[in-house]
Amino acid sequence: MSNQTINAQKEILRQPSTIALVGNPNTGKSTIFNALTGLRQKIANYPGITVERKMGTTIINGVLHKIIDLPGAYSLNHKKADERITYETLIGSYDHEEKPDLLLMVVDASNLERNLFLASQVMDLQIPMLMVLTMSDIADERGIRIQSQQLSNVWGVPVISINARSKKCDVQIKQALFEQGVATPKPFKWNPSKLLRQAVDRLDREWLSEHTQLPERARPIEALRLLAEGSLEDSFYQYSEEEKAKKLIEELQNTLEAQGENPTAVEVVQRYSFIGDSSEGSVTKEQRDEQTWTDRLDNVLTHRVAGPVIFVLVLLVMFQSIFSWATPFMDMIDMLFIEFGAFVGSSLPAGLLNSLLVDGIIAGFGGVVIFLPQIIFLFLFIYFLEGSGYMARAAFVMDGFMTKVGLHGRSVVPLMSGFACAIPGIMATRTIENWRDRLITIMILPFMACSARLPVYAVMISAFVPDKRIIGFLTLQGLVFFGLYLFGIVMAVGSAAVMKRIFPTGKPTPFLMELPSYKWPNISSVVIQSLERGKIFVTEAGKIIVAISIILWVLASFPTYEPTANDLADMDANRQISEQMLSTLQLNQSYAGTFGQWIEPAIEPLGFDWKIGIGLLTSFAAREVMVGTLNTIYSIEETEEQLGLIERLRGEIDPETGLPKYTLATALSLMIFFAIAMQCMSTLAIVKRETNSWKWPLIMFGYMTVLAYFSAWITYEWANTFLLG
Amino acid sequence: MIVPLTTTKIGEQVRVSCLNCTSEDTCRLQELGCVEGATGTVVSNQKNIILQVGECRLAITHPLAMNILVEPVSKKKSSNL
Repeated sequence: MSNQTINAQKEILRQPSTIALVGNPNTGKSTIFNALTGLRQKIANYPGITVERKMGTTIINGVLHKIIDLPGAYSLNHKKADERITYETLIGSYDHEEKPDLLLMVVDASNLERNLFLASQVMDLQIPMLMVLTMSDIADERGIRIQSQQLSNVWGVPVISINARSKKCDVQIKQALFEQGVATPKPFKWNPSKLLRQAVDRLDREWLSEHTQLPERARPIEALRLLAEGSLEDSFYQYSEEEKAKKLIEELQNTLEAQGENPTAVEVVQRYSFIGDSSEGSVTKEQRDEQTWTDRLDNVLTHRVAGPVIFVLVLLVMFQSIFSWATPFMDMIDMLFIEFGAFVGSSLPAGLLNSLLVDGIIAGFGGVVIFLPQIIFLFLFIYFLEGSGYMARAAFVMDGFMTKVGLHGRSVVPLMSGFACAIPGIMATRTIENWRDRLITIMILPFMACSARLPVYAVMISAFVPDKRIIGFLTLQGLVFFGLYLFGIVMAVGSAAVMKRIFPTGKPTPFLMELPSYKWPNISSVVIQSLERGKIFVTEAGKIIVAISIILWVLASFPTYEPTANDLADMDANRQISEQMLSTLQLNQSYAGTFGQWIEPAIEPLGFDWKIGIGLLTSFAAREVMVGTLNTIYSIEETEEQLGLIERLRGEIDPETGLPKYTLATALSLMIFFAIAMQCMSTLAIVKRETNSWKWPLIMFGYMTVLAYFSAWITYEWANTFLLG
Repeated sequence: MIVPLTTTKIGEQVRVSCLNCTSEDTCRLQELGCVEGATGTVVSNQKNIILQVGECRLAITHPLAMNILVEPVSKKKSSNL
């Protein structure tokens, strides 16, 4: 290796430019992105896939620049969709992303060799860059000292060292860009052997340059990949004359092998070898025998017994906090929307527009925003744990159990989040890298008993399950309640096992994961990312939810009800219930009411009548709406809402038999139906967003409804025969 | 003596001799720095393995670790950044 003068370019930043952040996962790349862009960022999916595109803007010396946070990658060999985006963006052939003018090559100083592997590949693409060393505090703790200037001389690009967790890391980067500028690295700095270089050149000259559209600077990287893999199985490019290429690759591989080189490993070995040699002058490491913080924590947190126990405790604290912290905010949002609805309702003349605004749009939007506190709190925890390095350990300790049920270690946290609400859980599945594991986790997540099921369970259990003491403080009601939660978990595990067989996505990916060092996360980055998640939910899922709310409003409001003279006389006699009666009569003869009566024969085997049928339709807006709908149907005064409804349900008499209409069997059947059925449009909307297609939410709705129907039917028959028979 | 990674003990220093897994897994291991010839320390072996290679700490599932063949080395020989 030779020292060289760096040809720094500073003019490039005088014009608005596109700056891309490139680096391994867990290097502090996202923290730098958040620091540079603040809330001036936009997150969306890349078209057709579920990899997120993070774009933002930043001002450097008075000029506005675009910043792209490219998906973290370990190499440019693009086996995964996110690595492919990084690769294709860098070579400028990705249609949905701008070609970056310059790069911030983010390198973890505490893990220099591994990070320089990707950096050396990126450098072969000859894009002007500034190398940013992060995690210097962890490197210090491990006794690693890096001479930035030496490193800069070796690789021919400017190098700066920052602390990504410091509040001023964006200032440091901007200053470095302004003062040191960027430099275009030279290709093949890693000194490949003559033999390998010849093989790359031949593959480039005799095939890639003629038969592919790849830009010249990208061809050596592609040649190296083809030599290592030995096959053209690649879904990205359509090659012509593949036979010729196969022959050539085989010949070149044989030549390498004849000279004692392993074609699969030759590039990796030579790059690592150069990185190791070149580090001798720029990196020193004190031999320390004492354990680091990471060692000490890992002894406990990844312990076979203590690890899972601690993980469950962490989850308990997390969900308890989400419940208790989010509830006051949710109540506040609920109240605000009710007040706002009442204000709009009283300000506008009564009529259709009033009803559409208050009952359709405001109520629908309120139903969206109410989930925000849970989503933001869950993500504050998730990003904190992720940033601290613990999340990777949690996945590791739970992997054994989760693999047995057909899932992945990383599925645990999203699934547990489902107990609070399926929506943030589904959004949290992004931490699962493998698409198949992620999809199965999304598809089974709504089985976890979310908090919206609580009101329905509470009403049904209070009305029909006897309050009998079983053992100690345990009552039958409590046990049924617990049983419903357990039932959700069993259904989730069972469905995962079935889906594992159905989705033919090839062999499972063995668990291989980098465990990053423990560190204190950058809090402002954690907050920014959590707020971004909230924004995504409101803007993307919100649109769909408001639209469906309006449809449900139409179904419940039309055809409009015209009171008869008798009705009006009744209402005059009892002014207090007149408004409630009106809405009851309106609902009964609306499309929703007609629908309830129309589906009655279909739901009769489950023990449901048309009134529950209306509830099933309206509760699609959100499960807890079921209780509100039943209240409306039974014209219950709001002050005695629950007790009144429970009494009315118990007292409902079947006119044909003269016996109580709703029994324990009806209640169990309804609860089982609610435990399984996909009665939540918000969940479907977020599944659409996360899978980027309507196919999966529709499949989810279909299979869960069918499963719910048959399970409720069996429950009803079983309860009638064995409990009441 | 070459043994599967699963048979090593906590604290033991090893040199990676052979990655006997599918080419895709081999590539992933190599990209993470677990190349043939690299030395590392076994941090945890409780069915699944945690192997420290250089400064990179890798969590490796048992079936995959079975296919990573290593050679135990004495502490003095280990030298890696």
